[in-house]
Amino acid sequence: MILHFNHISRGKSAKSLNELTGLVAGSLTTLAEQGAVDAKMLRALRVHLDWIHYKTNFREPVMVRRTTMPGGQPGPLAEIAVDLRQADPLQLPQQLAHALQTVRAGTDADSVHLDSFAPWRHSIIWKFNKLFWQWLTEWEHASGRGFEAALPSGSSDANHPQAVADSVAEFWRLLKDLESRHQLPSEIVALEIGVGSGARAAAWLDGFKALDEQQGTGYYPKLRFWLGDYSTATLERALKAVEAHAAQVSVVAMDALNPFKSLPSQRFKVMYVHLTNVYDNLQFDELVRRDGRHYIVETRGGIPGAAADGLCAEFGITRAEIPAIVERMFEEGPSAAGEGARGVAFWRALWGAFRLEERLRALDDFEEDHVPPGLTRLHLDDLLAEAPDDIRFHVSRGAAESFANTLPLLHPRGYLQVQDIFVTSMDEYRQAFKGPGKLDGSLVVWVNGALLRAVGARAGYDVHFAPFPYRPGSKTNILYTTQRP
Amino acid sequence: MDLPILPTAVIGSYSMPAWLERAKNDYLSRKLSRHDLDEMHDAARKGAIKDQEVAGVDIVTDGELQRDNMIDYFVERLPGVQIDFGSKRFYYDFYESVVRSKLASGPLGLADEVRFLRRFSGHRGKVAVSGPHTLVKRVQNRFYPTEEAFALDLARVLNAELRELVRAGATDIQIDEPYYSGFPEDLPWAIRAVNAMVESVDATIHLHICYGNRYGKPSWEGSYRYLFPAILDANVNLVSLEFARRGDEDLQLFKEFNPSFSLGLGVVDVKIQDVESPGFVADRIRRALEVVPPEKLVVNPDCGCMHLPREVAFSKLCAMVEGARLVRSELGKQGLVRK
Repeated sequence: MILHFNHISRGKSAKSLNELTGLVAGSLTTLAEQGAVDAKMLRALRVHLDWIHYKTNFREPVMVRRTTMPGGQPGPLAEIAVDLRQADPLQLPQQLAHALQTVRAGTDADSVHLDSFAPWRHSIIWKFNKLFWQWLTEWEHASGRGFEAALPSGSSDANHPQAVADSVAEFWRLLKDLESRHQLPSEIVALEIGVGSGARAAAWLDGFKALDEQQGTGYYPKLRFWLGDYSTATLERALKAVEAHAAQVSVVAMDALNPFKSLPSQRFKVMYVHLTNVYDNLQFDELVRRDGRHYIVETRGGIPGAAADGLCAEFGITRAEIPAIVERMFEEGPSAAGEGARGVAFWRALWGAFRLEERLRALDDFEEDHVPPGLTRLHLDDLLAEAPDDIRFHVSRGAAESFANTLPLLHPRGYLQVQDIFVTSMDEYRQAFKGPGKLDGSLVVWVNGALLRAVGARAGYDVHFAPFPYRPGSKTNILYTTQRP
Repeated sequence: MDLPILPTAVIGSYSMPAWLERAKNDYLSRKLSRHDLDEMHDAARKGAIKDQEVAGVDIVTDGELQRDNMIDYFVERLPGVQIDFGSKRFYYDFYESVVRSKLASGPLGLADEVRFLRRFSGHRGKVAVSGPHTLVKRVQNRFYPTEEAFALDLARVLNAELRELVRAGATDIQIDEPYYSGFPEDLPWAIRAVNAMVESVDATIHLHICYGNRYGKPSWEGSYRYLFPAILDANVNLVSLEFARRGDEDLQLFKEFNPSFSLGLGVVDVKIQDVESPGFVADRIRRALEVVPPEKLVVNPDCGCMHLPREVAFSKLCAMVEGARLVRSELGKQGLVRK
């Protein structure tokens, strides 16, 4: 058996960590001595200790991960994963004993399953995510707080006034430089993807107009500012926020995964593209290399038995009814679970209890399914070449796809600016858990910046990351692109 | 070799297969021998030639698949240019290169390309050479007093090579100068350098000027108006420009200035994978014929096809050839044929 200390949180509950890690090692030794683990299993057993820093997440304190081979047959490797932040010293020995039994028995049938094992990108969590953004108002009304207040930081970095002012000034300097070279286009095109309330766009346009007038450069009248979002309701709301700039603004319904598809006429014309906290809410996969072999993480959503019983008692339903109610909710909204507040209450309680089981499926080296659309196997090879052994890492396929399909919009001197939570090198996956974390009704996952760097390099762009300097303690990074020579 | 009226040509590079990209990178990281890589290059070049011939292209190249990019292939051969061979991991990147003393004279070995093309193709062939202005913009100059002086000395070395190409049987030589569009202020001395490069070279000289195709995207934007009237002094037979991606507004410059050289008309966009229809191509040619006489028009893609998937590149060439054929038949009915 190999014990992996993946992530521990420096300076947080050090005493408790000592106690917990000691308990894990001691309990497992005792169980082995008691014959609860046979020698054959021990050889293939890995125990992983993590510190999951999100207050809410999708994991139980102790969980079992089995492996399967590419064809679906069971693999020899098995894992027990312990979240040291959630683990309770009083229950840990018993939970580990139960986990070992589960590894041996091959099944843990107590949960109410809501989907089947599949890579993260096909997980039911994306249906929950979509449900949340569709019925945001109802959730916020029930929770009594806006979704930004529910973020781990308690606020969004999108609209920071100084960040917006600096962004405007940088853009203006680019235009000034182009003008000095007689290369200023007749129409100056900018694009914001994922517009939220429109507050950032409004602040940016206000700032740009003011700076242009102050400098007397006459750029503002030439500006065409596109607002892109998949939700027409969001676009309408944002349009109201920027109504003072109506002559300069256009809106376009846009899938964040493929901005180019919505704006083909703007190919090579957009001088500036901005996104904030879009990539961290897009689909991803998770890979890991164990003993020289690559595995993809597959998950299965469900409600643990005790929590399911609680839901049933509270809402007067049976366990068997839960999956069907959830499916109807995805189609019709929370009212499928009950009228008005009761439906939203069920949704919120269900989301609180929702967990993901995990297993690892060995990858066939020549499998191409995991290459995100718009990328090639060469991108993935670049990433795997840098990947650390034994540490799980994200393939941020949604972010990579969006990024790859945004670059063709850029003018030769244009640039992309993204504010988000990025893992800027593969080695960072060793340093801390990078998601996903569970938010109010939604989820957040760090974005693999190394993958975006590989994608950018193949498309002719260098990708740089700078810390967000405007709020102390912010985890946000700013990605920006420059042309490769 | 006779050509029809409205002959079709490629600009130079053909679709780069992913397996060859991987092999080139493997060579750089010393996982593949030079011999094995050269064998792969030759196989890929033969495939590129065959595709062009099957598509019906009149003036073909070897696809330039043995070249990493339009800079390194030449600086590796230029005597006197120092290269940091550890400075790239990805084949398409540029080496760090510098010139610290006067360039020596010596063969660059490009004549092998001519011989390869003549051996494996029955069509008229063309070899492209990066021009002095483009090379000056990529090689650090630590010796010459000015960029112009560096370019003129490069032209001297390249002129000797072009004469060698002719001796090997080259009939069509193309000079690639995409950096003009990024540095229009250099044009007067850049044209002088081209003229020095082609002096007494007995071949049809093509000059290709685009807005860049690095990584399949433009490096600059603007209007070809910057070329005129300076370009009129270039001692070349044909200037090929990109119009498919940019639109044909700049065609009017040929009406306005009536240059002596022919026009290589870019009719397919190499920066997008949508394949143009032959009818669409034909329309572009017809519009060009409103300002350029048919005997001074050659039909070609906007630029090299290296960034396109092979099936897309091949389909675009087929559409280009068919589009030219459509217009050619219309001209034939009017009694217009190439003499």
